[in-house]
Amino acid sequence: MVNRTLFMLTAGLFMFGITGVAVAAHPDNGPGCGLGKLAWGSYAGQQSIGSQVLQATTNGTFGNQTFGISSGTLGCTNDGTIFASEKVNVFAAINFDNISQEMAQGQGEHLTSLAALMGIPADQHQIFFAMAQDKYTTLIQAGETSPKAVVKAIYGAIDNHPVLAQASISK
Amino acid sequence: MVRRLLFFCLAFSIFSLEATAQDVSSTYLQELLALAQEKKLHHNRYWRLLLHYRQDFLGGYSSEVDDPGFFLSETGKTDPEAELHATLTQFFSDELVGRSQQVAQCAFIARFHWLSDQLKFDRTRFPSQTCERFENWLKELNPASITLIFPAAFMNNPVSMFGHSFLRIDQRGQTEHTRILAYTINYAAEVPPDVGVEFAFKGIFGGYQGFFSTIPYYIKVQEYRDIENRDIWEYRLNLSPEEIHRLLMHTWEMGNAYFDYYFFKENCAYHILSLLEVADPQFHLTDQFHLWTIPADTIRLLFQREGFVQDISYRPAGSTNLKRKREAVPASEAFFLNQLTTDPSIARQTDFLQLPLAHQTFLLDLASDYLRYKSRTDKKLADDYNTKNQSVLVSRSQIQVPSPPFPVAPFSLSPEQGHETARMGVGIGWRNDELFEHIDIRAVYHDLLDPDPGYTPDSQIQLGALSLRHYHRRNQFRIEQLTLVNVLSLSPIDSWFIGPSWKIKFGMNTVKSDSCDLCSNGHLNVGAGGAVETHVIQREVFFLMGEAEANVSGAYDENHRVGGGISGGVVANVTDNWKWLASGGYLGYFLGHRSDDIQVSVGQRWTFAKNFVFRTTFTHHDRDNELLAVFHGYF
Repeated sequence: MVNRTLFMLTAGLFMFGITGVAVAAHPDNGPGCGLGKLAWGSYAGQQSIGSQVLQATTNGTFGNQTFGISSGTLGCTNDGTIFASEKVNVFAAINFDNISQEMAQGQGEHLTSLAALMGIPADQHQIFFAMAQDKYTTLIQAGETSPKAVVKAIYGAIDNHPVLAQASISK
Repeated sequence: MVRRLLFFCLAFSIFSLEATAQDVSSTYLQELLALAQEKKLHHNRYWRLLLHYRQDFLGGYSSEVDDPGFFLSETGKTDPEAELHATLTQFFSDELVGRSQQVAQCAFIARFHWLSDQLKFDRTRFPSQTCERFENWLKELNPASITLIFPAAFMNNPVSMFGHSFLRIDQRGQTEHTRILAYTINYAAEVPPDVGVEFAFKGIFGGYQGFFSTIPYYIKVQEYRDIENRDIWEYRLNLSPEEIHRLLMHTWEMGNAYFDYYFFKENCAYHILSLLEVADPQFHLTDQFHLWTIPADTIRLLFQREGFVQDISYRPAGSTNLKRKREAVPASEAFFLNQLTTDPSIARQTDFLQLPLAHQTFLLDLASDYLRYKSRTDKKLADDYNTKNQSVLVSRSQIQVPSPPFPVAPFSLSPEQGHETARMGVGIGWRNDELFEHIDIRAVYHDLLDPDPGYTPDSQIQLGALSLRHYHRRNQFRIEQLTLVNVLSLSPIDSWFIGPSWKIKFGMNTVKSDSCDLCSNGHLNVGAGGAVETHVIQREVFFLMGEAEANVSGAYDENHRVGGGISGGVVANVTDNWKWLASGGYLGYFLGHRSDDIQVSVGQRWTFAKNFVFRTTFTHHDRDNELLAVFHGYF
């Protein structure tokens, strides 16, 4: 039994050593909120997400002092959840590519989730999707500066829409 | 006199009023301590689960938690009784404790609830404390059910080779399309970003701290599906609202703690099981694992409890999605697909616009998926791919119909359908005209000839394998082979997917030479090359690799030889139950014992049942010829 453990350990050690190049850091230590103890890590291939989030959050509306410098996190409460006021922006920033693709396709789970976060009632989602597809080019052009600008442009388009404007959208 | 007496009485009664308040709580504490002692609560399984106590080989207890802030007694890590007493005592205090800096009733809310149930707490005799942070957190999680998430094994990152598991907290009102908004409970080691070669050692021997975190599921989906191209399996668990509440209270509590992270045993899958045990203490999960915890094994374990896994859903990897969609493109339209990915302006030309609308949208969507995949994997040309993708999407948005859902079938069955990971075999064989009996045992996990279902296709990880033989004529027992590591990953190349195939093998085997007949030979072999896939019979993968090898053995002059060469082969599924593997190679040794070596091997495996197979192998190696027939069982 002890020998087997030893084999396993040596074996694993060896395996790690050889392919160590691929291991810049633990992949499960990605950006996100911790529980009590928080970490927005960054690792190879994930830096883009980290910087998108930074982009989305540093320009922004974070006045809350209970997070940030001391915990090293942005957008999260000390207890690992995302501030209600920033949910749409954080989601849009992290999923920008998926949302933009699904807007052009007129459907998709990221677009549906965005609609849900924006407070668009489920029975108006199809109308919202059709609007996003119709105005795709202008909305995405607006978003060249930052994902946050896309969110703003989408809110603007909702306000100007005869049906969607009637719904009470959470901003 | 009367007045003085009155004054005295008044003063005394105020004093005694103050004293009573303290006395009440301290007497109540004494009562509770006595009752806990009488009920021997520190021996209770639930207390051990909450504190993560494990019995050591001397019969004492020690907690797997390594964070001093998790214990309210200085000796709490090794003394369940002292910890229970300190916990009860701290419940009467306003002091902020733990990493999360809350009063003990809130920081250790699962302990509070359990002890309250066991000792029938009279809340009026406690200091009144509310756990607003916990309540807000719980409200934000909005839990309705729990789903276990399993991203499949990922060969190109050692820490992900066996897969990963974590929990998703499904929200009330969540739909199939909004479940990415749910939070997850994830356990992972915290590794500094600029880590070097010490990573392997520290990762295996507890050199890093592991924490629970509650990352939104959309980030995890992006990480596994989009970036690492791993299939994701989702298993909804049958837990009652009370069980979910217990699980979440304990998760909250674990925000106060870290564990030393051990890659093989106390890893993600292990600690996720520990949460499920707190949800339902009838469940015995973590004590089923002694030396290592393979995530897929933990899923099979959950299936052993009838009705516990309620339904399974599949979320295809980015690459799986691409492959399946490409299969659906008619040959006559392959040209357009190719054009769209190189020059998207074709989407505005008549030829393309004459296709049925549904075909146009399908091709545009697939082109966009492909361009996004390329922009993630080919960083140098990422800008170019992004520009093309943007152009494709603009064309797509002008066809104002939503894309219909495209069901993607996985290339491998879900992991719980796979064979168990430990393996044992008995067999018989002939080596250079001599009969031998053979037994073998393997700790983990899967090789190319093991049954495919449930495992990442074309990959092999074997750790800790041993085979023993008894040679008849000379009546000799010997350790024939010992494998420490034998890992191989084949990535079939085509016009869309270009990736290396590679292998590494480290261990000891038995060779024949001029000086000795059965000589132990230590070997290290590494190789890299490419693979292609065909579908002539059912599915075949051909591979070719350049390789380097070093041997240490008494069989060689100067006791060693080092060389390089080439090897190749084919692995072929003939039917669902029958698979062949044929390989050959040439190695020239130019350091140490100068020699060369031609190897040929042909093997087949027949599956009788998920955990029972028959395998034969013929091997020619230098001047050895051997035929082996083995029955393998997985357990």
